[in-house]
Amino acid sequence: MISYEFLTTQKIEEALNYLDKFSKVHILAGGTDLLVNLYKESPRLPDFDYLLDISNIPELKIINSINKFIEIGPLVTHSRLINEPLIKNNFPVLMEAAYTIGSTQIRNRGTIGGNIVNASPAADLLPPLIALRAEVELTSRKGKRVLPLEEFLAGPYKTKLQANELLTKIKIPLLSDNYYTDFQKIGRRKALSIARLSLALVTKIDEEGIFQDTRVVPGSATPYPQSLPVTEEAINGISIFQINLEEIGKITSNEMVSITGERWSTPYKKPTIAVLIKRALERIIKEAKTNE
Amino acid sequence: MSKVTVTFIVNGKEVTLKVGPKERLIDTLREQLKLTGTKEGCGIGECGACTVILDGKAVSSCLILTGQIGGSEVLTIEGLEVDGKLDSLQKAFIDCHAIQCGFCTPGMLMSAKALLIHNPHPNREEIKTALEGNLCRCTGYEQIIEAIESVAK
Repeated sequence: MISYEFLTTQKIEEALNYLDKFSKVHILAGGTDLLVNLYKESPRLPDFDYLLDISNIPELKIINSINKFIEIGPLVTHSRLINEPLIKNNFPVLMEAAYTIGSTQIRNRGTIGGNIVNASPAADLLPPLIALRAEVELTSRKGKRVLPLEEFLAGPYKTKLQANELLTKIKIPLLSDNYYTDFQKIGRRKALSIARLSLALVTKIDEEGIFQDTRVVPGSATPYPQSLPVTEEAINGISIFQINLEEIGKITSNEMVSITGERWSTPYKKPTIAVLIKRALERIIKEAKTNE
Repeated sequence: MSKVTVTFIVNGKEVTLKVGPKERLIDTLREQLKLTGTKEGCGIGECGACTVILDGKAVSSCLILTGQIGGSEVLTIEGLEVDGKLDSLQKAFIDCHAIQCGFCTPGMLMSAKALLIHNPHPNREEIKTALEGNLCRCTGYEQIIEAIESVAK
């Protein structure tokens, strides 16, 4: 039987004080994951004595454009990511991923911060956020620290968030004009499906049509979302007119398996991830050729 | 586990209630406020039967703790009928035979209502997206979509 005291606040300062004062505090934001785990009394839930509701802290709901970064409050819902012009115009890859999450009801409550801190291997926003080189700002009573998101993730359902820290901002550097992005996802059906496999691709294509600064991050492919450096290097330096998509597909499949080893799902995921990287590259190449 | 006091608005009326730390909005609506029109299906946000409108947005009331919604405004199926007159969506559901067993209907109506609040003339795709979190095992959805289309025209 799960039992806890309920705490709520509208101020970051007060939330940090609670985190400092009490031990075994679990944070509640949109609740779309936590309430399912509470209902199921999931073994994945850590032991906690206090539930701290942060869902009504206005400061954590802001989206801003500051110094070549877009800063997103952790309480920004998936619905807002889809509808916010700052996101739509700068990071369509994030908007596309948010659109594939859950259902209207889930997108209206679930938050970007929750998606990050839960650190599910299937978290839909993590591949695009890592590919965009997002950073997370963590705040405690002692101060703030900023970590690259990829470094913040420590394992499946694990992050480097300390017990006294709150995720207070997600910072994404703006991309220059010659960057292209794409998000691919395969689920059992569109609505409510957990990603069986997804892939975010962010890359630069220079004036000569050469790929540079490529970032490839699959979801549900590795124990937790991480970039694929071998694939990225294989794409960098190649012309959009000469790239061999079959070969890149094979490299991506092999790199995924080199991380995961052979698992029960490998016979399905190995060819499928090759299809996803090919589709993403095809879409970007088409877009780049249109822009020429 | 001590209770917390929460004040919010339900169907236009302010209520102040003591709620348990594990009490979900669906529990408060059905058990404390006796608003049993909202149904509980799966309890994990997948079926949409418990959909209500919270501050203008469709949400699953099984995935919200009542302690979280102080100061908010909730609209349930009971709030659609005004002065004994059914909402145009409710009438359309009847006219288009968009109901069979009726269990999913309150949730369907609230998802549809939330859509029309923000987008009074949605196209078919937008209607389908608004309903993607609502399961119906009887009608096959076609009549439900037609009912909403008839109001959205």
